[in-house]
Amino acid sequence: MTDPKKMKKNKEKSEKIGVYICYCGGNISDHVDVEKVREAAEKFPGVAVARTNSFMCSDPGQELIIEDLKNGVVDRVVVASCAPSLHENTFRSAITRAGANPYIYDHANIREQVSWVLHGDKATYKAEKLVAAATGKAGLLEPLDPIRVNARKHATVIGGGIAGLKAARVLADRGLEVVLIEKTPFLGGNAAGLDTVAPLGEQCSALIAELAKGVLEHTAITVLTRSEVVGFNGYVGNYNLQVKTTLSSSSAFDKAAGHVVPFEGDNADTPTEQNVKTGAVVLATGFRSYQPKTGEYGFDDHREVLTLPEFIKQLSEVNCSGDILELNGRKIRAMAVIHCVGSRQIPGIHEEDENGYLNEYCSRTCCSSILHAANTVKEQFPKTNIYDLYRDIRTYGRGQEELYDRAARNRVVFLRFEAGNSPTVSANDDGSDYALKVTIEDGLTFSEEIEVPVDLVVLATGMEAGDVSDLVSMMKLPVGTDKFLQEVHPKLAPVEMSVSGIFLAGTAQAPMNISEACNGAAAAAVKTASLLSKGYLELDPYVAAVDQDLCRGTGACVDACLADGALEMIDAETENGTEKKARVVPALCLGCGACVAVCPTGAIDLKGWSLKQYEAMVDMIVADELIDI
Amino acid sequence: MTDGQTITCDALVVGGGIAGLQSALDLADQDFSVVIIEKDLSIGGKMIRLSKVFPTLDCSSCITTPKMASAAHHKNITIYTWCDLKELTSNKGSVRARVTQKPRYVDQDKCIGCRKCEYSCPVYVPDPEQGGFCATKAIRIPFSNAIPQTAALDPESCMLCGKCEKICPTGAVDYFQKPFDFTIEATTTILSTGFEMTTIEGKPQYGDGKVPNVVTALQMERLLAPHGPYNRVLRPSDGMEPDSIAFVQCAGSRDKSMGIPYCSRFCCMYAIKQAMLLSGALPLADIYIYYMDIRAFGKGYEQFYQTAKAMGIGFIKGKVGRIEEAENGSVAVRFEAQDGTGVTTENHDLVVLSLGVLPDWSPEGICSVSTAEDHFIQTVQPSIGPTLTSRQGIFVAGAASGPKDIVDSISEAGAAAMEASNYIIAQGK
Repeated sequence: MTDPKKMKKNKEKSEKIGVYICYCGGNISDHVDVEKVREAAEKFPGVAVARTNSFMCSDPGQELIIEDLKNGVVDRVVVASCAPSLHENTFRSAITRAGANPYIYDHANIREQVSWVLHGDKATYKAEKLVAAATGKAGLLEPLDPIRVNARKHATVIGGGIAGLKAARVLADRGLEVVLIEKTPFLGGNAAGLDTVAPLGEQCSALIAELAKGVLEHTAITVLTRSEVVGFNGYVGNYNLQVKTTLSSSSAFDKAAGHVVPFEGDNADTPTEQNVKTGAVVLATGFRSYQPKTGEYGFDDHREVLTLPEFIKQLSEVNCSGDILELNGRKIRAMAVIHCVGSRQIPGIHEEDENGYLNEYCSRTCCSSILHAANTVKEQFPKTNIYDLYRDIRTYGRGQEELYDRAARNRVVFLRFEAGNSPTVSANDDGSDYALKVTIEDGLTFSEEIEVPVDLVVLATGMEAGDVSDLVSMMKLPVGTDKFLQEVHPKLAPVEMSVSGIFLAGTAQAPMNISEACNGAAAAAVKTASLLSKGYLELDPYVAAVDQDLCRGTGACVDACLADGALEMIDAETENGTEKKARVVPALCLGCGACVAVCPTGAIDLKGWSLKQYEAMVDMIVADELIDI
Repeated sequence: MTDGQTITCDALVVGGGIAGLQSALDLADQDFSVVIIEKDLSIGGKMIRLSKVFPTLDCSSCITTPKMASAAHHKNITIYTWCDLKELTSNKGSVRARVTQKPRYVDQDKCIGCRKCEYSCPVYVPDPEQGGFCATKAIRIPFSNAIPQTAALDPESCMLCGKCEKICPTGAVDYFQKPFDFTIEATTTILSTGFEMTTIEGKPQYGDGKVPNVVTALQMERLLAPHGPYNRVLRPSDGMEPDSIAFVQCAGSRDKSMGIPYCSRFCCMYAIKQAMLLSGALPLADIYIYYMDIRAFGKGYEQFYQTAKAMGIGFIKGKVGRIEEAENGSVAVRFEAQDGTGVTTENHDLVVLSLGVLPDWSPEGICSVSTAEDHFIQTVQPSIGPTLTSRQGIFVAGAASGPKDIVDSISEAGAAAMEASNYIIAQGK
């Protein structure tokens, strides 16, 4: 246990703590008696004022804090409201506007940790305790300065599909040096396998060619194809990526997909590794197409059952005349398309994969995509009958409802099924020469059972998260329950990841169409530009600090440190000659406190989260006599 | 700012809703100077008026106010509210906007937001910020977390009694304030002019707004808001706590009779969200959603829909044909049941219409950017440059180029800011 007397002396406890408690409209005040918490807080040691507001984050709420600081009523601030992840920066900036140091503030989360999980007296009691603890800590807070580090005006984009190409181009136009890393030998990603795209019918190859041209012609962009990231370290603004470039193996990639942009750069002929020093990383790693299980709607059992990407590819190669579609010499007199294959799976209804997993999400793009394909067929081959078996038609975007409308006018026949009553695909046994039959209880005709003989079944397979497990473990990236990479918050920080300086672009995050992927990519790029364009950035100062007088150079902290290189032993000149001492590299320190726990002499402490501050928090939580309950 | 003044900046953002705020912040964070003009009395757009937002059920104020506050206090952002854009011209790397500052009848520089005028005003008017369900005053701060916190007087309702002028501690009330014009010169512009809803009066089959206890979805947002008009959910005609509530989807979208063939994109999700919030507020109430297709396509949306189903919310497939007044204030909803029952009528205590989404602003006569057949602003590279309009240097973000939910609007706002930044740089500025 640390001897408090030997700790670096804290200033006296503040006697001018301001406590600001939020109603959050009713989110907090419906369950916490906010006025009672305020009355209790007024009596806590060191508290000068306690105030409430219906929205502390609103301008009038912030103004309360600013006025008190400016008038010298308070010199430490406690805000009791929602999770600090939402509003810490709001209140820090209010305090800065009042001319004070932003780190003289502590936060009590009385919404997520109290009013959303507790009700009645318990909620008020816990809110009082959390506010009490925060005032205990606040009394010992000292002004801190953020850590300023240089930031390289250089960004790395991982993935050379639509989103990666878009992100690389706009970043380079913004004046950053860009490295684009793509693991295949070509650019264009999944979209390279597409022909024309919904809803407007643009040639996908033309879209890719335009994006790729902008990338390949830009002098600030280095394209590394056949390359993968194999090592990652550093910190925001100063990351180091180890990139391995290998020879292409022509069999590994399906070049026959057609419309790719083969990269003819100066990739080495022998495998090479290089270090890329970069400021930020944009992840544009894309998706993979759902592969149906054997037997799922007859897939693998019948060669007449295709996935949507397979069908799109075959359709783009069709060269037949007449009014009936022919695929591989077979006339397609009737075909069925089935929606939501590998998407919108429901526990208890759909079969889980070998890992007990279901794709519960909607893949967003398949409805428009399959209707576009259906229209393409019907408008060229009007005598090919198409049956569209769907759950909900999700033509949500601009120009998409028109596709649905057009399909209906093209006499595509729509049949609707419920999730728990999927249609079946089986060999046709009615004696006719149709290979397959599809059976459905049609919700549009009073659940009548309908059997349709067909020559072809197309499965509207959805999107799955790409396999980026290597990057996930290397960069410690959060992954959602849907297995896609997880943003910090869908509205407050939609392209940011919890690892600072790593951003999300396109379908690495969720299913999206080309337009949405381009928006996501440019949004990721603008955050990257904001982060790096100044050439420096400021990090939170909650890092370990070593008291050189107390350090005995045991190195225990270095062994315990979780961040590579955040703690190092140095030779320090002291009055006893040269001694080993620990030194913190602030930019790399995670502020986890692992070193604090193992130091035998109590020489290390965390700025802004010192042991003494923790003790003060605990003291206040257990100091029942101080709280009138 | 004064009559005839010219303000220069790098980027002009037209519309201070969530898309405009995000675009402005993303530009200002790169040290570009930004001016936001907003036609309303406060920034925050539609989002600040909502209760909670799907699919996270975050309180909407809590997500919007940090962006409003950051924009309002950003050293590189200047905001002008209560403004009309009269003319926007673009020419060789610059845009020029002529803007009219409408009169608030309160001097914005003098007003300290103390609300004494509001408290002393004797004139009660229906509060538009609370769906008209409760009263406010003829002079008021529009709502509690409005930015700026400046009072404004509604000249239509004011009876010029003079009380507000007498009580104002800073002499801010000015009955003789006049509109005036000023000019903004910028390198680039982002149009983030948002959307509005079709009116409840638009469809005779749904009662033309004359059936009591048929409310709009935006009114339901207010009923559900923690700081709403009644602090609980009551039906407007008689204050009864409704036991049966129905949502009617596509009440103005995917409907050629209304002239709106397109899908309004976010109504399915907000109806599901409101249904979920209602089942929390009124645990015993039966809640139904009449729908054509449930379009839960975004990240986490389908799971949200399935949760709602598991909570017992009734989903009834069918386009509602007619809505009529029934006995004791209930509302009769006629639809074709798809289980074979045929045309069916169900009575509900309260009916919520998911109205259609329209552009809130037309560039016609103001600015030469093209609009599409759907009247939203046309984008010229919809796939790989979704924020580019027909005019170079003028970009579009959010629902101005078609209905979009908050997540998609915020993403697009960032994208528009990126394109605008690069446009500024390409002009050598």
